[in-house]
Amino acid sequence: MSEKRKAVRTYHRNLAIMLGIMLLIFVCIPLFVKSPYIMNIFVLVFYMSTLSMAWNLLGGMTGQNSLGHAAYMGLGAYASCLLITKAGINPWFSAILGMVIVGLVAGIIFYPCFILRGPYFTLVSIAFGEALRQFIINSTFFGRASGVGLPFGRDSWLNFRFGSKIPYYYVGLAMLLLVYLLMKKIERSKMGYALRTIREDEDAAAAIGINPTRYKIMAVVVSAMVAALVGFFYASYIRYIDPELMILSKSTESVLPAVVGGAAFVEGPLVGGLIMIPLSEFLRAKYSSILPGINMLMYAVVLLVVIRFRPTGILGWYMHSRVKTFIDTKILLKPPVEVLEEVELAKMSGKE
Amino acid sequence: MSDSKIIEVQHITKRFKGLTAVKDVSFSVREGGITGMIGPNGAGKSTTFNMICGYYPPTEGRILYKGQDITDKKAYEYTNMKIARTFQIMKPLKNLSVLENVVASAYFGHAAAKSEREAKERAMEILHFTGLYEKRHILSKDMGTPDQKRLEMARALATKPEMLFLDENMAGLNPAETEAAIQLIRKINESGVTIFLIEHIMQAVVSLCEEVIVLHHGEKIAEGTPAQVMNDPYVMEVYLGKKEGANA
Ligand SMILES: Nc1ncnc2c1ncn2[C@@H]1O[C@H](COP(=O)(O)OP(=O)(O)OP(=O)(O)O)[C@@H](O)[C@H]1O
Ligand SMILES: [Mg+2]
Repeated sequence: MSEKRKAVRTYHRNLAIMLGIMLLIFVCIPLFVKSPYIMNIFVLVFYMSTLSMAWNLLGGMTGQNSLGHAAYMGLGAYASCLLITKAGINPWFSAILGMVIVGLVAGIIFYPCFILRGPYFTLVSIAFGEALRQFIINSTFFGRASGVGLPFGRDSWLNFRFGSKIPYYYVGLAMLLLVYLLMKKIERSKMGYALRTIREDEDAAAAIGINPTRYKIMAVVVSAMVAALVGFFYASYIRYIDPELMILSKSTESVLPAVVGGAAFVEGPLVGGLIMIPLSEFLRAKYSSILPGINMLMYAVVLLVVIRFRPTGILGWYMHSRVKTFIDTKILLKPPVEVLEEVELAKMSGKE
Repeated sequence: MSDSKIIEVQHITKRFKGLTAVKDVSFSVREGGITGMIGPNGAGKSTTFNMICGYYPPTEGRILYKGQDITDKKAYEYTNMKIARTFQIMKPLKNLSVLENVVASAYFGHAAAKSEREAKERAMEILHFTGLYEKRHILSKDMGTPDQKRLEMARALATKPEMLFLDENMAGLNPAETEAAIQLIRKINESGVTIFLIEHIMQAVVSLCEEVIVLHHGEKIAEGTPAQVMNDPYVMEVYLGKKEGANA
């Protein structure tokens, strides 16, 4: 029995080492990569994957398909930008305020559609994004179609403002990791079980004591707040925002990493983002000058292939693949995932 | 204690757009016992059950639980009141493992687990108890009917109910599986849980229930011990009629 525990411990340790090495690689990349173009792609991967994790909390874990994440992101960007430029509030503090504002707005707007079942949520999320965009285009306070700029100036952590891409790289990476840890925590918590139960069957959820409306609201608020954080990051990085940020196609972009990577997994958006975003950038750079639009076409083909052959995404395939068996047995040394939880079982049977 | 009524149903009626599925039905469930409800297909059993469990409200009438009016309670408030149910048409959480199905339940209700460890430990206990332990890592959609029926029960039990409603938990089981299910239900009852069950399998009703209610066309046509009910001429007529109809 203690042998088993030892095996599980070794497995955990090796897994930690492997993840640590991966993290170390990401931490070291800016030391070796000097091209701003490549650095930009990494920053893009970080914030788009984070946005996709936000989407996945609703789309993957709760089964509520949102097509409004660009709107939350845009609203978060606007809220924090205006707080910085008009109210003179410190950017970091504006980021938090922006998240709170967007969380509240999302909670209030979506409360009525969660009382109803069915596709209302998706429809309202589309309408919400479009309505918000139109509102901003027509509002002088929001800078109309010409958008809002953030002031440039000397590099400053206090003002989250840098000429180089490196600080944005690290902040983006930290944001991604923090949001990942948050999502992981949610997944294993009472809320995570509630959301997945709701995804599978709302009647079954209610029968065990879950109030579906309440948990769906919680999910949409958390998800919108994370999207708002990404919006703040984006605005600080680009230093200029306009209503185009909220167009529907941007919302679909937030869905793709999760779906390609595997929406059933918290890690799905990370895996999908790491593959799809550089691919999209590569195709654009390489082919859009030869034949405009061909890059989008090739992107669509890749996407269709993935969705057709792997409905559960790349991780859905990986979990049952020989690659995983190989990594488990040869690198991490034995315990397959099922056995990880055997430690608890050992404790249970000791009790009997 | 043995004579107190845990559930009292008073003159409940349910109309679905013109169709009266349940008509002025009243009965009570004795605390600590096993009460059964029988009747031909479409008699209104599940409808009655769903009203008591807050799935939808009765058009008319009241439902009391331990003397308190619960007619307007929402379905999700029931496990907090120590009431749990299963569904006739099983609702497994398809893409979750059997273990996760039960862990989810352990997190809710009046005895909600405070941590994942506690939830898992309770789930493990219940998986042992219901005989699903060996299958805990299988996705629930990959199991057959008998195991999905057990899972329905396991999920209900994980909320630690005092009152358990079972809607045709043995339908589609072979004789051996039926016998196992009967043993399981008896075991649950002996652990102190009051049970109300709908069942077509007479063998189960006769061996488990002290009290049986018979519904036909939405109305209560008889109640009493299994022996009393089975010897009731009207019940016999309804049942024999139904059986011939089913065989034809
Ligand atoms: N949601 C609903 N809307 C409309 N009619 C319904 C609804 N639910 C049930 N009915 C009808 O009410 C009647 C009683 O159905 P119910 O499901 O209660 O029967 P039952 O006794 O459980 O039958 P079975 O043994 O087949 O499960 C049937 O005629 C059914 O078609
Ligand atoms: Mg029924």
